[in-house]
Amino acid sequence: MQIEQFRAELTAWLDSHHDEVAPPFAPPGTLDERIAQMQRVKGILYEAGWMRWGWPERVGGLGGSPLLRSELGAAMAARNLADPGVYSLVEVLAPTLIDYADPDLAADWVPKLLSGEEMWCQGFSEPGTGSDLATLSCRAVPDGGDPETAQTWMINGQKVWTSLAQYSQRCVLLTRTGTPESRHRGITAFFVDLDTPGITISPIEMINGELEFTEVFFDDVAVPADRILGGVDGGWGVAMSILPYERSSCFWQRIAYLYPRVQRLVDAVGDDDRAAEAVGNAFLALHTVRSRSRATQHRLAAGATLGADTSIDKVLVATAEQTLYDAIRKCTPGVIELDDSADGDIARIEYLYSRAATIYGGTAEVQRNIIARRLLDLGEEG
Amino acid sequence: MDAAERALLEETVRDVVAGAAAAGNGPGSVDAVLGELGWMEMLDAEPRDAVEIVFTALGAANASAGVLDDVMAAALGVTPRADLAVLLPGFGQWDPPGSTGGLLTARAATATEVLVVGAGLATVPMSTVAVTPVHGVDPAGGLHRARIDVDSAGVAGSPLDPAAWDAAVAAGRRAVGHQVSGATRTMLDLARTHALDRVQFGRPVAQFQAVRHRLAEALVAIEGLEATLGAAWDDGTPITAALAKAAAGRTARTVATHCQQVLAGIGFTTDHPFHLSLKRTMVLEGLFGTADAIVLDVGRTLIRTGTVPTLIEL
Repeated sequence: MQIEQFRAELTAWLDSHHDEVAPPFAPPGTLDERIAQMQRVKGILYEAGWMRWGWPERVGGLGGSPLLRSELGAAMAARNLADPGVYSLVEVLAPTLIDYADPDLAADWVPKLLSGEEMWCQGFSEPGTGSDLATLSCRAVPDGGDPETAQTWMINGQKVWTSLAQYSQRCVLLTRTGTPESRHRGITAFFVDLDTPGITISPIEMINGELEFTEVFFDDVAVPADRILGGVDGGWGVAMSILPYERSSCFWQRIAYLYPRVQRLVDAVGDDDRAAEAVGNAFLALHTVRSRSRATQHRLAAGATLGADTSIDKVLVATAEQTLYDAIRKCTPGVIELDDSADGDIARIEYLYSRAATIYGGTAEVQRNIIARRLLDLGEEG
Repeated sequence: MDAAERALLEETVRDVVAGAAAAGNGPGSVDAVLGELGWMEMLDAEPRDAVEIVFTALGAANASAGVLDDVMAAALGVTPRADLAVLLPGFGQWDPPGSTGGLLTARAATATEVLVVGAGLATVPMSTVAVTPVHGVDPAGGLHRARIDVDSAGVAGSPLDPAAWDAAVAAGRRAVGHQVSGATRTMLDLARTHALDRVQFGRPVAQFQAVRHRLAEALVAIEGLEATLGAAWDDGTPITAALAKAAAGRTARTVATHCQQVLAGIGFTTDHPFHLSLKRTMVLEGLFGTADAIVLDVGRTLIRTGTVPTLIEL
């Protein structure tokens, strides 16, 4: 399947199935409604085959370039069928399972994620561990003391900023298995069933009023050894392997989601130069990151290994998102601040969420540190 | 052209352009060495590679040349020649310059004829054009102010499809965009080298995060510009070329600001070459429209048409 053909056929299919895939509620809807909508649409798209393109056949996919996944995610975001932030969990978690889980288990599990039967989450950050992920302390101990022979591991500790754990059946969890000083060398990844006894999930309210984040507590949680991903003390590699997916298809979805927001702004403003300047600036920033992301994905599809260079993409996408929402706030005064209609709710939720663009997925400052160290080769900081 | 051939050509052109620029053998010398390398043939056979490689090299070496005239002539359907100049719009403009006058590149010194676009397309003898060298902020840039009123002078021109002028502006914008990319890479190289060499408070200033973040910001801007240039070539329409030129203008200001701050005192003197690239990009920003003017124009178009196109696809 070539991408041009995929795009054309997908567009025609989504047009003709509009009523079936459109949200059954008036936007913005509640987070519960939006999650249910996403899972429902994933089910329809899986059944129709779209959701299976770009994934390997051994996990229920139909094969083809990963670019097909980017195209589908972008179409869903542009048509407001699913929030890109929520939908992107598919893109970061399925490849982890495909690359690091036991092949038979991956073949059982991945279709559940793709088809919307299940949701999974990512347990990385902790109260004391934000940008410096290698300091994480949520502890996993082999039952009986020997990591080679243990059938079960016991997990104790806490995760925070875990998106959507309250909706999820399973979690890719990073744990400390070495000494605290072992940093990235002593981390192990587990694929944990969230209904295991000892797990408590407690939602956190974000500044936009939504409950996307959670705290997850682990109190003597027993996890079978065959749920280790990437081997004992191999968790850092698992965590880092997510980067190319997060920085390619997820960014492409996020960008696709932002174009209709420019359209909304264009529809809302009059023909004056102050608005034209703000619209033009937002459009330029968005076009710049779209150009960059397109080039990045073609490099990935051609077999390149993505690394520190994607920090450029990350800075550009965060900049474009905040430039756009700053333009929206500037050109439609009083809407975000005071409008109690559904339009006001949407503008408010999205504007406040956009403030996190320079924080999640590696802060703007960490990206600049990486660019300075790895791309500009400036040596270590003093 | 495969990747290895392209890399070899980039290196050759870079060396030749830098050598000719450093030798300072007067107007036309950079054009002459590029001509010997087969510039005209390359522009005809592989315009994208030719423009990317040659204009990046010009920008990097801070060289002045008349090859922009060749790009414009070819885009207007006229065979480029070393003795043919093309009248460019004035600073910050992109309308056909015919009846208002405009700018000529370094080609003005060696050309015998000037291609002028007004209501139509006309070729006039150089002797009929009033030409004044521009000193300005960048005396080495080779620009000239030129005036000829073809429309009222009754020069027999041929009709020109407005779309042909738009395509020529797009070609010019892509070319100048690559020149800015080369110039900003040079600024960043100079600032990076200085940051690693300059010791204050007992260590190279490159170890300070404030300095590192400025240089990172410069690289982000340059990489963004280069992505928009790639998209402009792949897409080939005027709007993506306009956005690439706007990105070039913004990038030049961003990179100049951060690099000048990192270079500090030495970058404020003519002992250091930074000022040459700074001044060149100040002038290049005005060719075919400043970033602010293009952004405003694009914004107005989006609002008036009520559509927001995604422009490029995977």
